Amino acid sequence: MQLRHGTDKRPWTFYVLAAFFTLFVSFLYGPMCAIYLLSFQGPNGGLTFPMHGVSLQWFAALFAQHRTGDFAGSFLRSILLAVLVLGITVALSVMAGLAFRRRFVGATLVFYLAIASLIMPGLLVGLGIGLMCQLVGLQPAWYTSALGAQLTWTLPFGLLIMFAVLSRFNRFYEEAARDLGASAWQTFAHVVLPILLPGIIAVALFGFTLSYDEFARTLLTVGPSNTLPLEIWAMTTNITSPALYALGTLTTVVSFVVIAAALTALAVLQHRRAQRRPHAAVTR
Amino acid sequence: MTQSGDIALVNVTKRFGTTVAVENLNLHLPHGSYCCLLGPSGCGKTTILRLIAGHETPTAGDVRIGGASVVGLPPVQRGTAMMFQNYALFPHLTVLDNVAFHLKMRGVGKTERRRRAYDMLTRVQLDPFVARMPAQLSGGQQQRVALARALITNPRVLLLDEPLSALDEFLRLQMRGELRRLQQELGITFIHVTHTQLEAIAVAEIVVVMDQGRIAQAGPDPEIYTLPRNAYVARFMGGHNVLNGTVTAATHGMATLASASGERYAVLLPPQTITVDDAVCCSIRRDRIAVTKAPPGQAARPTEPNAIGGTVHAIEYQGAYVKVTIQRPGHEDIVAHVADSDFFTQHLDIGNRVVARWAAEDVHLLETEHGCKTGRAVVDQPYGWACDMPAM
Repeated sequence: MQLRHGTDKRPWTFYVLAAFFTLFVSFLYGPMCAIYLLSFQGPNGGLTFPMHGVSLQWFAALFAQHRTGDFAGSFLRSILLAVLVLGITVALSVMAGLAFRRRFVGATLVFYLAIASLIMPGLLVGLGIGLMCQLVGLQPAWYTSALGAQLTWTLPFGLLIMFAVLSRFNRFYEEAARDLGASAWQTFAHVVLPILLPGIIAVALFGFTLSYDEFARTLLTVGPSNTLPLEIWAMTTNITSPALYALGTLTTVVSFVVIAAALTALAVLQHRRAQRRPHAAVTR
Repeated sequence: MTQSGDIALVNVTKRFGTTVAVENLNLHLPHGSYCCLLGPSGCGKTTILRLIAGHETPTAGDVRIGGASVVGLPPVQRGTAMMFQNYALFPHLTVLDNVAFHLKMRGVGKTERRRRAYDMLTRVQLDPFVARMPAQLSGGQQQRVALARALITNPRVLLLDEPLSALDEFLRLQMRGELRRLQQELGITFIHVTHTQLEAIAVAEIVVVMDQGRIAQAGPDPEIYTLPRNAYVARFMGGHNVLNGTVTAATHGMATLASASGERYAVLLPPQTITVDDAVCCSIRRDRIAVTKAPPGQAARPTEPNAIGGTVHAIEYQGAYVKVTIQRPGHEDIVAHVADSDFFTQHLDIGNRVVARWAAEDVHLLETEHGCKTGRAVVDQPYGWACDMPAM
């Protein structure tokens, strides 16, 4: 690329921002890269550099429950819980978003009550839910009390995203569908849902990752079996081997796989829409 | 369901909260007519369209299509189809599937519905574009898709909400003609909402001029343009000068009016409708006004009736005619459309003193805002217009 002429000189703010961004990226990825590298530490290596050979043995160690804690179980629980949260968040956010388009009595109050749980300290929400379980004599578990606690976090997020998505959705589409003889359900299935789908995938992605990562609200509501973040937390206090790093590498890979899956879904969707061809019978 | 697209709005009122969009409105449109609802934005014309379409429910009154009340019925059962202002084409469906949408909702099989949609698209000359997405089409093409999508429901009434406003001038004129031709070919009722006067009188047989939720005047297009009922219609339709005066004499079918500044206007009229001292409004078409240079040294004000002195304030060349704006101190400007040949023989220029003249036959009396006497025998008729014109 050619250098620009004097009059087109970049403002000093460009260099400030560029420096800040470089710092940010190295701060974010530097330590993580160290962890990824160290997770491949040789059998005789320790928690710090230098590397003593290369091996996959710390990954293997992760799945030996007696040594490092219940990694496989907590991983499975976290994935299942995240899928549950995703499903409920998508269903309720979409319905609530559509409902909020009609002004109903108390709409503003309901909205602020829902959003308030984003501001409340997560630990306190978890503590409250844990206490309530005790009061009514319910045994806390990841699939009951922790699920509820996580939903207090993901639902307001989902609702806010739906608000943004729906603010760009034109009501005329629904009227046109009605005009063309579609029932309320047909309008939703054939017009509203397909048009909103990219936004709904965003809600799903948020629901999944927020749940998969959740710590504060889950801590006091999870019951006897841990989710992955809690298990990792427990491990950091009692494991002193590079298996800890292997754990970090593995969970990062899972996060990337989920994001890649979502992006692929979006790309496939767009590709299918662009490529859709009419029936052979009418193309001569 | 009868096939008649005869439409009657009976005492229809529509309120949104405390805002009155349409007030106690009566309108009858015969089957197979092309009607334009015309008015400035916010006059209630789109609300009327949506009331007929079934996208709004009247607060009071009845909407009848083919003689039967349709209040509460969904659009398809009314036999209406609407073309939305922004076309509202489904962005996730191809052109073909957009047009086939209605048939899909009715459970028509894939091959059959796509064949019928294809036939409809051929009719609007869009068959090469069936596989495109709406976003890949030009504005004019999108409009044709919207038209095909509405027509595939086989409606008896087609409702068009500002159908031409998103097109450029050239396409607008072309589509205007095509809509009219299509309407005659199909023989169904078209109701077309617009805020453009020339579009309305060019395309419609019946023009309904709206003013704040009421019908200001409804009638065949030449009547609306040449015989406006009141000053609002005359001003809104354009092409008219509106003058105010007080009757000073009314005898032998001729009345004389005097303006506040003493100008005199002579008017032909049936004498029983007007008496001395009535305040009246009248209109004179711009193209019926002759402009001549005032002879130098003459008094500023001509003494004969139907002649007004003033100064040329603006000149706009329009091709076939020249628009001359004449300024008069303390009065509304007078606008004259002078034939180009007349204009150029006179060498008129801005700042010239001129006299504008017209014939008494060209003065048209208007109803005044206070409901005072009028030259036309329509004073006691309620707003709305019962049409007995044969369907074309």
